[in-house]
Amino acid sequence: MLLKSFMSFVLLFALNPVFANAKPLRVGMELQYPPFEMSTKDGTPSGISVDLAKALGKYLGRKVIIENIAWDGLIPSLKTKKIDIIISSMTITNERKKVIDFSIPYAQANLSILTNPTSGVKSVKDLNQKGRVIAVKKGTTGNIYAMEHLKKAKLLILDKESSAVLEVIQKRADAFIYDQLTVYRDWEHHKKTTVALLKPITKKPGYWGIALRQNEPKLKKKINAFIKKAKSDGTFDKLAYKYLKNIKKTFIRLNIPFFF
Amino acid sequence: MFMGTQYNFNWGSIYEYKQKFIDGFLTTIYISFFSLILSFFIGLFFAYGQNSKLILLRFFSRFYIETIRGTPLLVQILIFFYVIAANLGLDNRYIAGVLILSLFSGAYISEIIRAAIHSIPQEQYETGLSLGFTIFQTYRYIIFPQAYKRIIPPLTGQFASIIKDSSLLSIISVNEFTMNAQEVNSYTFSTLESYIPLAIGYLLLTYPISLWSRKLEKKMKD
Repeated sequence: MLLKSFMSFVLLFALNPVFANAKPLRVGMELQYPPFEMSTKDGTPSGISVDLAKALGKYLGRKVIIENIAWDGLIPSLKTKKIDIIISSMTITNERKKVIDFSIPYAQANLSILTNPTSGVKSVKDLNQKGRVIAVKKGTTGNIYAMEHLKKAKLLILDKESSAVLEVIQKRADAFIYDQLTVYRDWEHHKKTTVALLKPITKKPGYWGIALRQNEPKLKKKINAFIKKAKSDGTFDKLAYKYLKNIKKTFIRLNIPFFF
Repeated sequence: MFMGTQYNFNWGSIYEYKQKFIDGFLTTIYISFFSLILSFFIGLFFAYGQNSKLILLRFFSRFYIETIRGTPLLVQILIFFYVIAANLGLDNRYIAGVLILSLFSGAYISEIIRAAIHSIPQEQYETGLSLGFTIFQTYRYIIFPQAYKRIIPPLTGQFASIIKDSSLLSIISVNEFTMNAQEVNSYTFSTLESYIPLAIGYLLLTYPISLWSRKLEKKMKD
């Protein structure tokens, strides 16, 4: 009897495709960017990237473990094999490509500006001037952009998005550079004290990719195939509908290109 | 030790940013130096405050010391900078940084001084008074010379702590040593290459203090 139940237990695992591959897929992300990466009130990871990771796991036949890692620890964790891939709304940049590899893009986003009513900032041109202070989140595309293109201004590099917004509200910084979704949402929370300039500040949008270690062509091929499939079979549309219904409407109204 | 980390070192990418490390190192020295001086005076004042005859000053001193010692420095920095300094219109984050570090360290120094003075036996005060010394003279010629020897060793230890604690100012974007190393890390993604020089840099600052402290202790024994 005992043996029988044990056998059926083993069989259950052996036949289940999800458990067939013993090695789980460890996916790193920073759960601080709702609705892409966030956690529910009881601390379970949720959001578009989490659902995407689970769909990828199903596609690869591997169990998925979500690892919540601070933004500037993501790439080092990937390099030191603490995680297998990163799905954290990460933009594909040349700097990052030097140390890690990316899949084909699965979404796009633009950089924009959050400023305060007294700064007098109207566009990105007003920022590249002596005496201007620009807040950015450490290691983000906003940080890289400001460092490369806004050399005359002083950079304030902060760990958290919330600190950067606070610096703008308190007028210690003239602007905060981040993606449109964040800027729009921060403006929604602080309508009186901030101004959102949602016009993209770069000509080309930033493309998000799934990050993996260099020299892993097999995994890369599979991930790329998964993204192509997810784009064509409506996986992304479903995710957008589930999490971004209202934001999509706002984006269309403001004439901003949507993520997918 | 580093074999197990499965890590490819890439020192070249860090070397490009050497100026950032140097700037950060110097900023840490400046901040620590000014905090050191200011915190000593704050400590002295509250050590006096705790023994004061004015009940309000005594209560205030106790309140200050308990609050500072009972809360994390990280929380103090955030509250001081984003609430208190913002309301006072203090926008220079370097001055704010020095102030909060001094307030933090001052609470500990005040306890060091108070403990040293309390450790002098009661008879010595009585002896002083019986010899016709005024209270000021008793402190000046009898109590302080002895308390001094008990203050110096823990005080140097506290100074070494200030240097290390200044690293927490990175959260309000003070460009000190830790902040700059983290920044380089976020550009180059070379974590260990950024943090190993950081550790060595802090050791370079704290080790001489530790040596000096030991030397003083020896001297005090004679």
